[in-house]
Amino acid sequence: MKRLLAALAWLGVAGCASLGGEEYAVYDPYEDANRVVYDVVDAVDRHTLTPVARGYQKITPGWLERGISNVFQNMRTVPSALNGYLQGKPGSGSTDLARVLINSTVGIGGFFDVASRMDLRYQEEDFGQTLAVWGVTRSRYIYVPFLGPSTLRDLPTTLVRSYVPRLILGSEYHWSVSAVDAISTRADLLSATDVRDASALDPYAFTRDAYFQRRKFLVYDGRPPLEDLFDEFEEFEEFDDADDG
Amino acid sequence: MHRLGFLLLLLVPLQGYGESAEPVERLHTALLEAMQMADHPTREAYLRPVITDTFDARRIAGISLGRTWRSLDDVQRDDFVTLLMDLVVATYADRFDRYNDQRFVTDAVETVQANVVVQTRLLRTDDDDVRLDYVLKGGRIFNVIADGVSDLSLRRADYNSILKQEGYDSLVQHLRDKTAAARNG
Repeated sequence: MKRLLAALAWLGVAGCASLGGEEYAVYDPYEDANRVVYDVVDAVDRHTLTPVARGYQKITPGWLERGISNVFQNMRTVPSALNGYLQGKPGSGSTDLARVLINSTVGIGGFFDVASRMDLRYQEEDFGQTLAVWGVTRSRYIYVPFLGPSTLRDLPTTLVRSYVPRLILGSEYHWSVSAVDAISTRADLLSATDVRDASALDPYAFTRDAYFQRRKFLVYDGRPPLEDLFDEFEEFEEFDDADDG
Repeated sequence: MHRLGFLLLLLVPLQGYGESAEPVERLHTALLEAMQMADHPTREAYLRPVITDTFDARRIAGISLGRTWRSLDDVQRDDFVTLLMDLVVATYADRFDRYNDQRFVTDAVETVQANVVVQTRLLRTDDDDVRLDYVLKGGRIFNVIADGVSDLSLRRADYNSILKQEGYDSLVQHLRDKTAAARNG
């Protein structure tokens, strides 16, 4: 455990010590390597996990698919609660804790999201966001084989994510749980990858930029500074005015 | 007096968010209507005038192209704006193709400098809500942010990547292909 903490602290320090530049901006110094990994993973995904996830979505009734997805989200609410507290947000941590208690009992092992109906929303915290709150606001992009977009700062979260059911279930764990988790997760992502396929001209850049924006949004708990929504486009005003003049 | 005050409080939400949110609410009403239409060409024909009115296509085109916009002449700029609007309309008609009791709600309207941010949610019966924030200038939408992901930032990054690797003509061809693909579902 000590070693893990030391490694995480190092990642945190390494993530911020050498970096200047704009907070939360896209930073991709390993782009060439990342693109190679992306192309391979994407090709494999299109021929394996995507068709399986589509089949799963087709044969599984909506209520069951949602219930299964809820079960895994309920397990991940445990680390989310912990990270809420680590970020100094006791309200967020307690909301997640209440969710776990309610959904695991009344919601039958997390299958039914009873807590959301009581307005206890999933807080979606993780250790990468905690590091960002602690000051690691800029980090190198890494496309992790088979786990997808991440950054050096978010890497522990990306790696641990698929181990959460194993940690929670202990001796009850069976490999099939991870298989269902992987398929359910991919099915949940289908609408996002469909948007990517429909819109993106450069899917690698599209995925990367969307990832950085989404992470910033989560770190700010859905309330990033309003100015950030248009400040980056101010340069257009120059040529807009030039046109008029 | 107390009762009157209470009644007035009740009336406040009914007044809505006034003029600043009007283009967004007009778009939402049109999308809900379009979702109930059977085929793509009908949805596109219905959505086109609403999207043309409510979106600032020129601003979106200019920001998306960045420096390249400056190097285009007036005819090229007009052509690009038309091409971009075709893509936006075809994409909306493709994505909003199934009505399943979805609803839009406006949560807040904030004015910062010359920009208006309209915060809304798309409520779905069979899936999670989607947060949709619209950024407007001069009463027209120039950016849509879905669950924190800005359409305009992505568009700019995506287009610039193609401009750098393949050039302007190739970008135009890619956009034509995407529009055709959206029309074919």
